Amino acid sequence: MKPAQPSTTKRIAHALNKSQTKSARMTWILAPCGLVTLLVWPLRDVLDPANIAMLYLLTVAFVALRAGKQAAIISALLSTGLLDFFFIHPRLSFSVGDAQYGVTLAVMLVVALIVANLTISLQRQTAAAIERERQSQALYQLASRLAGTTSLEQVSAATRDFLYQSQSCRSMLLMRHNDTLQPVETEHSLDSELQSAAATTAMQMAQTRHMRESECHWLFLPLFGSTYVRGVLAIDLGAMPPSDVDAQQALYEAIASLVAISVERLHFVEVAQRTQLQMTDERLRSSILSALSHDIRTPLTVLYGMSEALAQQSLPQDMRDTVEAMREQTLRLNSMVSNLLDMAKLRTGDLRLNMEWQPLEEVVGASIKLLGTALAQHPVHAALPADLPLLRFDAILIERVLCNLLENAAKYAPSGSAIRIEANTDNSLAHISVCNEGSHFPSDKLDKMFELFERGDAESNIPGIGLGLAICRSIVEAHGGTIRASSNDDSACVTFTLPLGEPPVIEVESEHE
Amino acid sequence: MSDPTILLIEDEVQIRRLVCKALETDGYRVVESGTLGKGLLQLHGAAPQLLILDLGLPDGDGIAFIRELRSQFTLPVLVLSARSAEGEKIRALDAGADDYLTKPFATGELLARVRAQLRRNPAESATPPTHFRFGEVEVDLAQRRVTRGGAAVHLTPIEYRLLLAMLADPGKVLTYRHLLRAVWGNAHSESNHYLRIYVSHLRQKLEADPTQPEYFLTETGIGYRFQI
Repeated sequence: MKPAQPSTTKRIAHALNKSQTKSARMTWILAPCGLVTLLVWPLRDVLDPANIAMLYLLTVAFVALRAGKQAAIISALLSTGLLDFFFIHPRLSFSVGDAQYGVTLAVMLVVALIVANLTISLQRQTAAAIERERQSQALYQLASRLAGTTSLEQVSAATRDFLYQSQSCRSMLLMRHNDTLQPVETEHSLDSELQSAAATTAMQMAQTRHMRESECHWLFLPLFGSTYVRGVLAIDLGAMPPSDVDAQQALYEAIASLVAISVERLHFVEVAQRTQLQMTDERLRSSILSALSHDIRTPLTVLYGMSEALAQQSLPQDMRDTVEAMREQTLRLNSMVSNLLDMAKLRTGDLRLNMEWQPLEEVVGASIKLLGTALAQHPVHAALPADLPLLRFDAILIERVLCNLLENAAKYAPSGSAIRIEANTDNSLAHISVCNEGSHFPSDKLDKMFELFERGDAESNIPGIGLGLAICRSIVEAHGGTIRASSNDDSACVTFTLPLGEPPVIEVESEHE
Repeated sequence: MSDPTILLIEDEVQIRRLVCKALETDGYRVVESGTLGKGLLQLHGAAPQLLILDLGLPDGDGIAFIRELRSQFTLPVLVLSARSAEGEKIRALDAGADDYLTKPFATGELLARVRAQLRRNPAESATPPTHFRFGEVEVDLAQRRVTRGGAAVHLTPIEYRLLLAMLADPGKVLTYRHLLRAVWGNAHSESNHYLRIYVSHLRQKLEADPTQPEYFLTETGIGYRFQI
């Protein structure tokens, strides 16, 4: 037996019970009793039988300490017999002359049995305490080894070494990848399909599983994370008897939970590092975005101003056309840059919504005014019901949605056709539509239109890079709404929804002060 | 009266040149500066009637500059700023700026804003007018009477106070905060939506098409502007 093995008292007692020969045990019983009898015989006339009984009790306690319960009981009976035979009158006979000594003998027998029992239970408790001490020592050792680990490989190696050194057990750490288990240290793997199946079951059922297979007794312990089973610790207990396995299972489960804590810790360290990285990343991205937006806008402003200044000169017609085209293209470039920057912000979650309760009418009016000359070819009719409640949205973003939709309608509808803005409500949503006549969406593209860089007609000669509707969708979805396109032969509509929520109550003002 | 002087503080040389040229073509005298420090000196030296200020200057905070300037000067301030910087615009307006332009801007728009600001400036020193007329609407402050197309329009006290607050600064961008304070007083606890509701009432009573107003204009995300 290795010194570091679980040399538990239970194991010793077990070993004693099993391996010691009967004769050895008999020696343990007979020798002390015989010795006491021999030593006391010369003093039989000096010592009172009660005192001799005390010496026998001492012997029983001694035997109990050294040779276990059975031996103690036998020696208790034997001592009582010896006392009666050699030291109680009439000597060298089992008969008891004085009734008094009958009491002495009976008491001695009872006390001897009690002493034997007490001694043994004390011994057991001591052994259990030592075992507990040893286990917590072992767990403490494992915990301190695991505390220093910085990777799953280290956790696996530390656990494996620990179990080998302290328990002489083979072990393996298996981590969950989706729904399968993979050994952390790839040079180790489970020997059979059966073992893998048992390990997977342990993970799925989140229960400890046993598997006996010829010389092996595998124990599969699930590693509980805060949300799900993160993996399985497999321990090969070898030929350990089942009763011992039961006794030790608590220890193995404690080991498994230590490993689980380490795994969990590593997981959260990783999450924290990732978040940190993401934050740095986002900060970088938003500073690049704002620098970009400033640096691109400055030359655009200059270009736009210059082409305007040129347009005011008296120029021949063809040059005037060129200058006008320059001015228009600059504006378009600017709107593309705005769209791209907005999209980037929406995508990176850089945009904080400034949600406020407000009448839809106001943002509709502002959008129409903002587009100005771009809508010159199309009369815009806004038909908003008078009882439309206040809606909660970010005015600037919804203005952007309406502008994009109006611009789109103006771009695709034949010149002179009307554009309508409509709104209505149902139980929980406000539906806002921008419709135009004289053009329609291709029916197979109705859903895809809102995807990034998607255009109704890829070969169309109408400018745009398909960002407008994708931005609309991102904004509307950020508000908790949806957006969809509908179309019939002669008209096209884009409808988006906004949740109605519960508008604040406005106190009605008294008519006179 | 000599040509009005305009101070332009902008760090981008090209934009400065462009704006200068446009303003000079329109008959203004322009003093220019690339930094806030030099701008401050010129503010004292050249006594301009209008300041055009870019908010993204390298040598300091444009908003703090406006706040400081307001303690000594009453000249109108027109701010140049990038789109999607509403917060910055609101802070500039609350600090005392009168109007803003978003880059890239049309020169025609710039000149219109400049003219509007210069027009409203002398009015501040003279006795404030007691009579306004816009479209079909007439407002007589002395008699507290509002008519539209000759017919009397009934305004509630709050609506009337809001109308006065807007008439007081025609052409100036009025932030939500400014208007809330003007109408409900310093201790106002009302939210922006109160203001929006009352502006909508005013539009319904005084605008031909309340959805597409001509006078009570929305500055989305910032506030309102009363435009005559």
